[in-house]
Amino acid sequence: MNETPEEKFPSNPVQAPEPESAAGRSRKTSSGPMLIALSAWLVPGLGHLLLRRTARGIVFLIAVAGLAILGYKMRGNVFPPHSTDPFGTLGFLADAASGIFYPLARVFERAGPDVARAAGDYGTRFIAAAGIVNLVSVFDAYEIAIGRRV
Amino acid sequence: MAVATLLVTHFWAMVLFAVLVSLALTALTRRTPLERVKYALWSILLFLLIGIGVAWLMYPFSH
Repeated sequence: MNETPEEKFPSNPVQAPEPESAAGRSRKTSSGPMLIALSAWLVPGLGHLLLRRTARGIVFLIAVAGLAILGYKMRGNVFPPHSTDPFGTLGFLADAASGIFYPLARVFERAGPDVARAAGDYGTRFIAAAGIVNLVSVFDAYEIAIGRRV
Repeated sequence: MAVATLLVTHFWAMVLFAVLVSLALTALTRRTPLERVKYALWSILLFLLIGIGVAWLMYPFSH
């Protein structure tokens, strides 16, 4: 009855309570944001699954797994951890960003790389792209966990 | 022993790459199903068009 116009219509709607906001939902998870990021890196899509973003997690898993496995099947180059040149180091960082799929190269690419063919050259890019896509997925999961994204 | 290598043409490698990366970008940036479908199709189309366009631009340098 005695409400002021300011109370009826808050001037700053951003501060209005939103029970199902991103921050509210992320607080329901018991895992910390860093744990979410770590699991998202280790198994592509797992971070989103833990945050109950099932569809997005599955899409990221399909994209990263598809790029990595196709890259290995095309016999792309997998960069080792100890490289002598900066491009090799960057290649390793990109490849290792695909989490569990980096060590799985030994399973899918038993014969080693063959970049003498165009397919092998494309494969190298597919494997690096898998890591970059997974890195983007890790940042997305982390931002959801801290409530910055929905 | 024969080693199984997935041999794809330049075009199909580009299509596969476009589809998989577009899927990830769509999941990242769009929220509603209709928006996702439209964005994914648009992204795939642009990947292919720009890829073919750049290939044609580089064509004179291959001779």
